[in-house]
Amino acid sequence: MFKKLIEESTGRSPWLFHINAGSCNGCDIELVSVLTPRYDAERLGFKLAGSPRHADIVVVTGPVTKQSLPRVLRTISQVPEPRCIVTMGSCPQSGNVFRGSYSVAGPLSKYVPVDVDVAGCAPKPEAVIDGLALAAKILKEKRGRMK
Amino acid sequence: MDFPFIKEAISQLFSKSSCAMYPAVPSEAAPGYRGRIVYHPELCIACGMCERVCSGNAISRSVEHLEDGRDKITLTFNLGSCTFCATCADFCTKHAIEFTGDYHMVATKEEDLLVRGSFIKAAPKKKAPAAAKPENCSAQVQTEASGVKPREDGKPVNDQSRCVYCTLCAKKCPAEALTVDRTAKTWTLDEDKCVSCGTCAQVCPKNCIIMG
Amino acid sequence: MTVILEALRYLGYVLVFPGFLFCFLAGMLLCGIDRKLVAKMQKRVGPPILQPFYDFFKLCGKETIVPAAAERISFMLAPLLGLAALVVIQLFIPVFSFTAFYGMADIIVILYLLLIPAISIIMGGAASGSPYAGVGLSREMVTIISCELPLVLVLLAVAKTVGSAMGTGLCFSLSDIAEYQEINGSLITRISMLPAAAAMLLVIPGETGSHPFDTAEAETEICEGLLAEYSGAALGVFKLSHAVKMLTLSSLFAALFLGGLGTGILVLDALLLFLLCAGITAVSISLVHAVTARLKIEQIFKFYWTVVSLPALLSLVLAWYGL
Repeated sequence: MFKKLIEESTGRSPWLFHINAGSCNGCDIELVSVLTPRYDAERLGFKLAGSPRHADIVVVTGPVTKQSLPRVLRTISQVPEPRCIVTMGSCPQSGNVFRGSYSVAGPLSKYVPVDVDVAGCAPKPEAVIDGLALAAKILKEKRGRMK
Repeated sequence: MDFPFIKEAISQLFSKSSCAMYPAVPSEAAPGYRGRIVYHPELCIACGMCERVCSGNAISRSVEHLEDGRDKITLTFNLGSCTFCATCADFCTKHAIEFTGDYHMVATKEEDLLVRGSFIKAAPKKKAPAAAKPENCSAQVQTEASGVKPREDGKPVNDQSRCVYCTLCAKKCPAEALTVDRTAKTWTLDEDKCVSCGTCAQVCPKNCIIMG
Repeated sequence: MTVILEALRYLGYVLVFPGFLFCFLAGMLLCGIDRKLVAKMQKRVGPPILQPFYDFFKLCGKETIVPAAAERISFMLAPLLGLAALVVIQLFIPVFSFTAFYGMADIIVILYLLLIPAISIIMGGAASGSPYAGVGLSREMVTIISCELPLVLVLLAVAKTVGSAMGTGLCFSLSDIAEYQEINGSLITRISMLPAAAAMLLVIPGETGSHPFDTAEAETEICEGLLAEYSGAALGVFKLSHAVKMLTLSSLFAALFLGGLGTGILVLDALLLFLLCAGITAVSISLVHAVTARLKIEQIFKFYWTVVSLPALLSLVLAWYGL
């Protein structure tokens, strides 16, 4: 019963940690707008955590530059299991307009398994909510598979 | 130290929230929003212009040679690499690329973010048919449809049997010597302005401009 | 036999009411109500009332990482210590006419016990070996020092008012204060106590470390400060402690200023106490949270030692002259 309770709670209380891996700030603004009174992701249980140790969902924006890559990987490894990685915008998925630049190490999926891709440049807040809700569902499934 | 918003906070406590209850209440994108790409392969002529102008390298084209001598051409739009600038749609002379208001581009695997379309195109004919000659062409340099020969003065010549009137040559011409009318299907060279630089021949997606 | 029954009764006090189970349920609900109210005041819909429960159970199901640089034993012990101290405080606070543990001078005990959660969080933060926690713990210490002065002044004012009425000088027993209010009506109805009550309302957010005074756990500047390295169940216990602290301080306020409203039936009293706590939380934590931005640490210090301490001092002086 307790396990069921934990599994149910995991889907309802996903905390986000946002990593800017060289983003142009467009996606970051859209992510923050999801938490504003207009969209209020808190009503679905989402909360922006200040430390990766508290997070369940890691949202990566930006094309993953060579400077940021070791930090991104280190931050993601600090997130306790079960965790879910969401790429936001086109940049972390493919490099977008920065593809082929000398300073870009992406896409992110080369280094860590990515659970959800939210496409758009930048995605609409509604699309971000869609993506995060999907990530919360995956998180719940992952929790169900644990132990 | 003062608390200027106490009145506001208390009055909000008893009023309706300003939230857009998104997942419960569906929301439409604003007019003009550029979301998921819809590709109409039946309109496409595979000029390759979209691929050229794409800043995110999101468009790729593959050609499969069929047994009956025709080509199956497939265009793939990777939405995970797209900047949604709509330059491809602007440049598409056939309006085969359309940006819709659908913003639900969420996927768990990369395959879900690809938009594909393919069409079968007859192999290029050996001898192109004669182009329709416009009536008033007195001031225009009309090149002959078949057997276009390079001009001796080094200025460009257009093979109008292959031209799709994409206007790229006119846009790129540094001397503004070229005028292309899409609707009337005319290609006009102002010989006085032309500097014979060859930019038009370089940018032509159909390679139908020949320099002298 | 009676000894065993007595022991069972006290075990019931510690584990069920007003001990652990009541603290857990009421504290979490209070936290949920607070979050909902803040959201409402900010024109949002806000999380469901049960959100703190979801958060807590989710954290229980997460992996608990102990950093390599951390002192393992104190790192894991700190959250439990803080929670235990808060549950003990709750046992001393009377639910109107009902008191689990009677004490001659329980206000003094509570004053010391209130420090333990703060000290435990400092201990845990220091043991985690994170530089963010280092910044956080120095800020937490300043916050404690800031809050302590007005809190002591408020408690002294109440003790003096009740004590001089009972002829004992200073009355440091919460049960006696509750009894006095049963007979003479709530202390908040006295004009001399109004500044003290107002000061206490401003002490509550500082003591719980909620929004404008949460410099020690500022998530946007120092990665949640003291909690930076905590994850999983240990973090869940800290979140629970925060929720219980809200309950403890608001019920302390109710015991000090809103006594004498009880009905005599324990279940109804508990319910009434919870409703009062919710009201106090709404005013002192949610409203203050909704209308302010985070203060700097020296602003907190200045604020508590002037704006909050002065009314408390005024109350004490008025009480001293028997007004």
